Amino acid sequence: MPGAWAGQDHALAALEDALKSAEADQAEIFVAARTGEHTRFAGERVHQPQTIVECQVMVRAVAGTASARVAVSSLEAARDAVAAASELARRRDGASGKADTVPHGVAGAATIAGTAGLWHESTLAFDAVARSVLAGQIMDAARSAGASVAGVLTAAVTELAVATSGGQRCYAAATEAGFSLTALAGQASSYAADLGRDASGLGVRERAENAISQAAAAQDVIAVPDGVHDVVFGGLATGELIGFVPDFGFTGPAVAAGIGLVATRPHAVLAPSDITVADDATAGVGLPFPFDCEGTPKRRVELISAGHVGGSVSDLASAAATGGMSTGHAHIARESSPAPEAANLILMPGGASEAELIAGVERGLYIQRLWYNRLVDAEAGTVVGTSRDGCFLIEDGRLTAGLQTGRFTESVLGALARTDGIGSQLITQPVPNVWNGCSSAPAIRVRGFRFGSRQGKD
Amino acid sequence: MRVPEAGSREPGSLELSAAHQWGDLARGTAGPLLEAAVGTAAGGGASYADVRLSETEELRLYAVSGRAPDERIEGSLGLGVRVLVDGVWGFASRPLRDAADAAAAAADALSNARAAAAGSRERVVLPARDAECGCYQTAVAVDPFAVDAAVRERIVSDALAAATATAGVVQAQAGVNAKRSHRYFASTEGSRQEQHFVESGGMVLAVAAGHDIVQRRSYPNSFHGNTAAAGWEYVTELGLPEQAARVGAEAVQLLTAPVIGSGTADIVIGPAQLALQIHESTGHALELDRILGDEANFAGRSFIGPDAVGRLKYGSPAVNVVADATVPGTRGSFMFDDEGTRTRRTMLVTEGMITNFLSSRDSAARIGSESTAAARSDGWGFLPLCFATNVFLEPGTGTTDELLDRMGAGYYLDDNRSWSIDSQRLNFQFGTEVAWEVRNGKRTRLVRDFSYGGITPQFWGSLEASAGPAEFRTFGMPCGKGEPKEWGFLSHGAAPALFRAVRIGVA
Repeated sequence: MPGAWAGQDHALAALEDALKSAEADQAEIFVAARTGEHTRFAGERVHQPQTIVECQVMVRAVAGTASARVAVSSLEAARDAVAAASELARRRDGASGKADTVPHGVAGAATIAGTAGLWHESTLAFDAVARSVLAGQIMDAARSAGASVAGVLTAAVTELAVATSGGQRCYAAATEAGFSLTALAGQASSYAADLGRDASGLGVRERAENAISQAAAAQDVIAVPDGVHDVVFGGLATGELIGFVPDFGFTGPAVAAGIGLVATRPHAVLAPSDITVADDATAGVGLPFPFDCEGTPKRRVELISAGHVGGSVSDLASAAATGGMSTGHAHIARESSPAPEAANLILMPGGASEAELIAGVERGLYIQRLWYNRLVDAEAGTVVGTSRDGCFLIEDGRLTAGLQTGRFTESVLGALARTDGIGSQLITQPVPNVWNGCSSAPAIRVRGFRFGSRQGKD
Repeated sequence: MRVPEAGSREPGSLELSAAHQWGDLARGTAGPLLEAAVGTAAGGGASYADVRLSETEELRLYAVSGRAPDERIEGSLGLGVRVLVDGVWGFASRPLRDAADAAAAAADALSNARAAAAGSRERVVLPARDAECGCYQTAVAVDPFAVDAAVRERIVSDALAAATATAGVVQAQAGVNAKRSHRYFASTEGSRQEQHFVESGGMVLAVAAGHDIVQRRSYPNSFHGNTAAAGWEYVTELGLPEQAARVGAEAVQLLTAPVIGSGTADIVIGPAQLALQIHESTGHALELDRILGDEANFAGRSFIGPDAVGRLKYGSPAVNVVADATVPGTRGSFMFDDEGTRTRRTMLVTEGMITNFLSSRDSAARIGSESTAAARSDGWGFLPLCFATNVFLEPGTGTTDELLDRMGAGYYLDDNRSWSIDSQRLNFQFGTEVAWEVRNGKRTRLVRDFSYGGITPQFWGSLEASAGPAEFRTFGMPCGKGEPKEWGFLSHGAAPALFRAVRIGVA
């Protein structure tokens, strides 16, 4: 696949040049570009081979007591965007009455950590032909096993460059490789996925064969028994669960509003001391990246620190509101108000293998994939969702029958509190709608997790 | 003055209203770019190719309590090219900087198709069809992009102040949004189409907190508010400041409202929650690409099979669901879908029986059918997939009060708080922001944390009646699907409806 869309020299020169035309008190400008190549396959065909190039140049100008952002889709239009943002900010400043709040400023010059580990030639070599051939081999293997398979193989290059009137200048480019696939056999299914910077570390073929074998061996499924079970959640399911942790009050705006755990129960004990959930884009896990779209260096934030309520993620605006410093988590989600986002979540691994976690359950459930999980109650940490592919009964410490979809309405905080085993292998999955978003987690064993309705069978 | 919703046979022949006369692609510049991309694709060996070229501008002003308002205008210009080479699809998209990008995107699409041939064991057979040409524009009375910044600011600040006026509200958000876009389409079959859209919307959200309890209320819909295919007149009609006061007060009332136990009850579901119910359990379940397994890895499959038409009983005789993008005024309104198929009114469920699917050309051809014009994409950047358009539960007769009287005892609920459904679109559980207990046909006390669940065909089988057209409402919403995940913009509509013996209080 091709390399960077913008490139460091071109990106920074264009931003620098554009920034000079700002007619505002302060200004920041970033370019976020991504070339994503995706080979989707299902059944007997590669049905959606795609190359998608995205580029957004966004300017934020501050004039008096107002600010405004303008974005365009090419660096060539960056100067126009700066001029438009400056004009809109000035117009808004003139239009507004006495302001109750003032806009936050822009990032000053700060040292950015190195970019070692972000770029891998192996990912560039994971090109359209390589991905298509591999997809064909996986579909062939599934057919030979009496199964079918659907999935996606991805290689991408992500770039972010920021320049501010405060003197910050930064650029980084990173490769990204990922896969996910669902093997189907009879009524049974299995699932595998992983994501990282380096395609050579994914082990797609081996993990695809394992998923196909697992589904083919099961064929039939039984209903998830209603009730409270000992459950081993695979790394992907665990990653889904910890993805809710920030919603329990671990963001700057929640702290400013006085709601959630950081604001109302600082340092409270939530879970055993071996549970640490951090947002850490500097750890070399998942999709590391050194700074955010405001140009602030990313800092490790332990949301749950050795079982206790830890800190919150912030951007410049929420840091200003709470009197702290930005942790480098600025984010602008589509169709949403800008707000800090925990984008690189990690549940710190333990020392057990997944097989050891399973061996420690006499009768229970193995849950590989969760689906359509939604927050019900942020105070209690309650989430509703279902299990999906690759779920099995555990009997005498071994996986036995495949399981149908099961519904749960459970507290993530409660599950973490009842975790008595943590796996050693991290698996990463993307977090949709979050720029460079991912969560990485090992398998965990939870003693007591309810599946099914509290009033009977679904 | 409203410009009539209009279409015409030939691109360029429709007089555009002032709200659509903006940007680099308003008229005249799109044609050569489209031809360059189509020509490159056809010259490179594509048996079929289509090109979507679009320019979009989106305005959003949000105010969150305690933070300075944030206003942004996001522009985007680019194209996507899809080709079929030796029975294998290829796709590529990129931002448009100059004319060279049109040919480059087509070349990338050709390369992808040729590479994919190495892995594909089956070939696509796409039935040829005649060219379709035409123009379309959204009817706009007041151009939202011409509205003064001070007017936007005042509505949002007034709404925020009203939402936080009730003691106990700890956080609130108000916002307005507008979007305008030009979409041009061309194919090797000779289709040439142009569509010009304008959307406007608004939202308010209030969060109240007590001791170990947080409750929220929103208007006009939870999550992102509501957006219509209309001008600023829609924002004005929303009455955000007035509704914000109610929303704030209800959020606080919910803090002390009781929680009801689990069991079975009759319920009347309001149109906002019903829109999401339709989206999750009807629209998604009837997407033909999903039914055929194309989305098995991410969005999932469906309990409905490809042979369900005329065979599968989906709901009670009161269930009539239509897909109709010709209905104006919503996010699912258009003349042509994103592979150039002219839309038409299509019954998906008729008196409880499945009668059609939401399909694309590729998926329809695989079951020997014709596309129902449901191939939608997230702007120029993404492949068209099967998404809902305007998928509505057709209204019945009478009023909501008459429905409540008919129900006697039960609950009236609305506005989604949480939603979950399995990957076959069968087993669901939804929570609502608000519910009222109904006794003797009248709303009484407010209850909080209400939820209900069920199995899709059983649930729709319990639909007894819907209120009449006067109480029918539509809600625009984004929807995620595909790998990489893209958004489809669509709408669902319903009048309040009465369901019998539904499982409640499951969360």
